[in-house]
Amino acid sequence: MFYVHQINCISPQQTFNITDIEQLLLPVNKKLNVIEPVYQDIPKNSLRRMGKTVRIGIAAAMEIIKQAERFDGIVIGTGNGGMEDSIIFLKQVIEYNEGLLTPAHFVQSTSNAVASQLSLASVNRGYNITHVHRGLAFEMAAIDVAMRLLENRQHSYLLGGVDEISGYNYKLDYLDGWYKKEEVDALGLYDTDSPGTIAGEGAVAMLVNNTKNGAIAKVVGLTTLHSTDVYALQQHLQNFLKQHEGLTIDLLLSGENGDNRSLYFYTGVEGMIQGNIPIARFKHMCGEYPTASSFALWLACKLIEGAALPAHMLKKGQPKTAYNNVLIYNCHKNLQHSFILVSLAE
Amino acid sequence: MSRVLITGIGVVSAIGFSADENHTALKNGACGIDLPMHLQSKYAGIFPAGEIKITTEDLKRKLGIKDASVTRTTAFAVHAFAEACSDAGLTGEQLASGRTALIGATTVGGMCLTDELYRDANSDFSTSPFLSSYDCSSVFLYLQQHYKIGGLVDTINTACSSSANAISYGARLIKLGFADRAIVGGAESLSKFTVNGFNALHILSTEICRPFDAARQGLNLGEGAAFLVLEKEENIGDKKLYAEVKGYGNASDAFHSSSLSDEGHGPFAAMQEALASAGLAANDIDFINAHGTATENNDEVEGRAILRVFGKPPLFASTKSNTGHTLGASGAIEAVYSIFNIINQEIYPTLNFANVDENIGFVPVTNYRKLKVQNVMSNSFGFGGNCTSLIFSKAW
Repeated sequence: MFYVHQINCISPQQTFNITDIEQLLLPVNKKLNVIEPVYQDIPKNSLRRMGKTVRIGIAAAMEIIKQAERFDGIVIGTGNGGMEDSIIFLKQVIEYNEGLLTPAHFVQSTSNAVASQLSLASVNRGYNITHVHRGLAFEMAAIDVAMRLLENRQHSYLLGGVDEISGYNYKLDYLDGWYKKEEVDALGLYDTDSPGTIAGEGAVAMLVNNTKNGAIAKVVGLTTLHSTDVYALQQHLQNFLKQHEGLTIDLLLSGENGDNRSLYFYTGVEGMIQGNIPIARFKHMCGEYPTASSFALWLACKLIEGAALPAHMLKKGQPKTAYNNVLIYNCHKNLQHSFILVSLAE
Repeated sequence: MSRVLITGIGVVSAIGFSADENHTALKNGACGIDLPMHLQSKYAGIFPAGEIKITTEDLKRKLGIKDASVTRTTAFAVHAFAEACSDAGLTGEQLASGRTALIGATTVGGMCLTDELYRDANSDFSTSPFLSSYDCSSVFLYLQQHYKIGGLVDTINTACSSSANAISYGARLIKLGFADRAIVGGAESLSKFTVNGFNALHILSTEICRPFDAARQGLNLGEGAAFLVLEKEENIGDKKLYAEVKGYGNASDAFHSSSLSDEGHGPFAAMQEALASAGLAANDIDFINAHGTATENNDEVEGRAILRVFGKPPLFASTKSNTGHTLGASGAIEAVYSIFNIINQEIYPTLNFANVDENIGFVPVTNYRKLKVQNVMSNSFGFGGNCTSLIFSKAW
């Protein structure tokens, strides 16, 4: 599909300026908020007007944009992008009884704010699109980029996934039963036998193209499914694995999130993986959010680059000294599933 | 690479509840814009809009939708989706195939329920049926679940060019082998949220809009939905054909979050790329369905960009004067109208045009007429500088 060159990640863990995934930072009030960087590239005036999604999206991407020899477009996936500004604007609409309002929050309320602000910041007039398909927003953005790279072999694209926990979207998802009612600590998350999970957020940006030279990793395959049926999911995985028969998977990165209603999808997938392959989990690090699979892709790249697998991630099996083929499985709200296969670029 | 052909269409807008009704209305120069009856907003008595004259409850009853979580936006989507699939003769088995994709677009999604969202977002105990209906993807996840779509499903939001991008995404999936068939389109409904947003930007007109007119005062919002069924040429057999998705271009204007650059960098690049991907020269385009929102900024910049691309511009018109600006649905609705141009070899007038804007010296088509139409370009430009241009061509 494509080679990943630079990849940056702003997350609730130490993943941005300093990378230390061994030391686990814990959720506060069942929320894992990102560690926001110092925004040196964004003018203070603009920064004040930006919502968190836009801030962290730009910060994750800017260093890549500055260093890229060329990039031909911006492709962003976001599940909740713009939601916070939407609700702030609608609060004004209702509380001022549709009085005269300033348009700032309305303009930022469209989900394409990150991609459009990035095009402004870099004066990039190339391909520009935003995918918002909830738990598969990042995956659909990645397929878009894969198609662009088939259509334009020499191009490079900025691909990103970004979401924030806003007070409002947390509340709506909480009321809808997606977050735990009881207190839970990060490592105990997987031992709870109750519905719901913990909230998370993050921004991942990467430069991708068809060039093997100097690449960190290669996204070899990606497939998605909408289903509530674990057998259909297993069938889907079997077909996907068949397409990539030549590769020996040496790690399963599982999006297990402590929600007892989704556990059977994750165990169903684990049951399909042949051999004594280690299984590692990551939602205790980033929390649950629509584009969490982009955090898993960042992790896969780091492990392939040689980072050691932290003990707190390991669910089953023995860690290896090197990872060449990592399979990511993620499930969002028991309906949207994805598998991403990431390999060493050689 | 396979040609991508259109085998089914469905549309609901302020000028009709079906493709046939929309076609007749365009031919007759009908205008669906007036003061809204159903929109709950204090501006309902001030700003005319292209409202579909049915309550959400009646619409859901008509469609047999009992699910309380279904919003007005989703109901419009169901209406147009069902028409397009039935028009293309798609079976349940074909919809469930892993090779059938659904690519949707909207900007308002479930936020058409402005008051409900405000209540739920500020409640500690709500059991509202809409808790998972507010985002954009809820519209197309409902279609996926209800019709059991088996292949790739996506939701795109690039503001007013959203559904034009959904069409090109679906066409590319087919061309590059990710799908054999794609049902592509968009849906939008009028809301207190969008009316207030556009009012805050001072671009709503208190009169019925006048695209490209020197005295234009802004846009009218609209609502509706449209879907196209795209299929790979090899699989079509002797099915009825509407047109070919021939070219597509997407470019960012990279100028401002809610207005276009004077030079129209984005519109120019999108049109150029659409021509290049279609393998056509500028003079192959017989007609342009312009974005033509009737704001001062859009029409002038679009006009200037058309002049740059074409030198002498082809015939063009804006159907925003019939339907209002349906935002995330406009690219798909106007794709259906472009198909009408091709299959009927005729073009429809821009309504309410009287005075030439000397800044661009542009005169849109103002009368219905027959025309030999091989290739139609359809433009959609959105906030955030997201510009998309599509080309539809006669398929035989």
